[in-house]
Amino acid sequence: MSWLPEIEEIHRRRRLAEQCGGAEAVARHHAGGKLTVRERIDRVLDPGSFREVGKLAGRASYGRDGKLAAFEPAPYVMGLGRIDRRPVAIGGEDYTIRAGTGFGSDRRKGGQGGFIEDLAWDYRIPLINLVDGTGGTVNTAKRKGYTVVPGYGQDGFERSVDLMGIVPVVSAVMGTTAGGPSARALLCHWSIMVRGQSQIFAAGPPVVERAFGTKVTKEELGGAKISADTAGTIDNVAESEEDCFRQIRRFLSYLPQNVWELPPQVACDDPVDRCEGALASIVPRSNRQAYNMRRLIDLVVDRDSLFEIQGTFGRAVITGLARMGGRVVGIIANNPMFGGIMDYKAARKQAHFVELADMFNVPLVFFADIPGFMIGPESEANAVLREGVRARYVGLQVGVPVFTVIVRKCYGMAGGGVIDRRGLNFKIAWPSAEWGSLPLEGGVKAAYRREIESAPDPARREREIEEELRQLASPFRTAEAFAVEDLIDPRETRPYLCQFIEALQPRLKSQPGPRLKAGVRP
Amino acid sequence: MASIDIKSEITGTVWQVKAKPGDKVESGDTLIVIESMKMEIPVITEDAGTVTEIRVKAKDPVAEGQVVAVIEG
Repeated sequence: MSWLPEIEEIHRRRRLAEQCGGAEAVARHHAGGKLTVRERIDRVLDPGSFREVGKLAGRASYGRDGKLAAFEPAPYVMGLGRIDRRPVAIGGEDYTIRAGTGFGSDRRKGGQGGFIEDLAWDYRIPLINLVDGTGGTVNTAKRKGYTVVPGYGQDGFERSVDLMGIVPVVSAVMGTTAGGPSARALLCHWSIMVRGQSQIFAAGPPVVERAFGTKVTKEELGGAKISADTAGTIDNVAESEEDCFRQIRRFLSYLPQNVWELPPQVACDDPVDRCEGALASIVPRSNRQAYNMRRLIDLVVDRDSLFEIQGTFGRAVITGLARMGGRVVGIIANNPMFGGIMDYKAARKQAHFVELADMFNVPLVFFADIPGFMIGPESEANAVLREGVRARYVGLQVGVPVFTVIVRKCYGMAGGGVIDRRGLNFKIAWPSAEWGSLPLEGGVKAAYRREIESAPDPARREREIEEELRQLASPFRTAEAFAVEDLIDPRETRPYLCQFIEALQPRLKSQPGPRLKAGVRP
Repeated sequence: MASIDIKSEITGTVWQVKAKPGDKVESGDTLIVIESMKMEIPVITEDAGTVTEIRVKAKDPVAEGQVVAVIEG
């Protein structure tokens, strides 16, 4: 006697689970240009590395003979896998089964809390949520016989919140999501959606129409143009599902498995002493003219290593993960193509990124060209001061080393936000650098108004004062006073930073673990 | 062929109008330069096409997100 009949039953049930919501539902899903959750998981992970858990969970019905008559798999697929040979917890709703709504299991598989989140938590490994569920359904009340208080019991976000301080959490919005799955998607360190395919909102078009009488399409309400480009609710945008999976793998390649580890170092074939001639002339001599900051970053960091976070949102600042000499760094660079100003979006983006880098032991490099906060009625109405000061507050709480390369402008309150003066943290300036509490133009008129107005030729007197002050503003004078730690040949930026980033690694090793933050953010 | 709105990404005033209706433009071309925060900020088209409308002139104030030109691409 053996257990072979039961073993065969296990395999039969696994095959049933692999059929997802059945051939018809899968064909409909594919016809919409979408992959099933099983196909997605296979493509995100290293080939053959998926070890599914709970494949037999679902709704079964039995015949009179006690044999399985029908089986509907649980609408959530999850388990353990590997990305770049490192373990990850991964799960996602199966949209082909009742649109990925819950199924009332004894223990939740995932989605909000559940086994998959416990796995990431207990083993200290990254979590990937492939979100493709429509959230709660009023049918649940019918099944249970009562309505539930939100946020209670199995549906809580307690574990999801705990994970945010411990392991990298990635959310990929793969379809149309509302309600609970939308909220769960936001509880992550980095999120992505597919342009034209994914939409995310608090509530979808039918609910909006009922409330306001206005008709909107789901793409108008929560497509990438709104959710990523305009609102920054979702961080990155993929052009296709394949692109989305590539970006997920790439994002995780910069991060450690958890806060107790350092980001993985990779072999670097880009010479650390590479000095790019183009850096000597990339900044125009006129400080009114813009230049390509993204190219500037590319010339300094390891070749092709910059991975932008929130590339389409708050574009006055560029934030991204990169490598220098194979070691991970966080880049924050003001973008002169958008004035380099700190507006409320740029401030929000910067604060989030700084917190992300600090959490995962990634040192920060600022490339500063910032004339100040965005001014004007619209900007004030959007709380530019509060957002800007919050960015600065977050910046002053980080435990990772911070470098600032002052490329050009560094003015005022916003300029202070790209510099960290605690401990060793220091700044190196290019010859194109200029700084102060406010730019000379305009500033002179405000400070010397009486003197200018009483002069026989006010315009000439204003120019004279400006010229006098301009000479004092030479970065050489500040370097003489050691008020900027170094004034460098821009071509030396890469070797200079690479050497310091190599040297600071012991510091990173000395401070692993969760970041405990006191205080209330402004 | 579709009509594409070209928007200013920033609040400011028009410094220079570089394109005129009928011009053929490539992706990355500057159509208009906005002055904001004492900087010259180019308004760039991400699509190639033909300029059909320029909706602003020098010294006009513009708001973030305002359509300043239209191209047919």
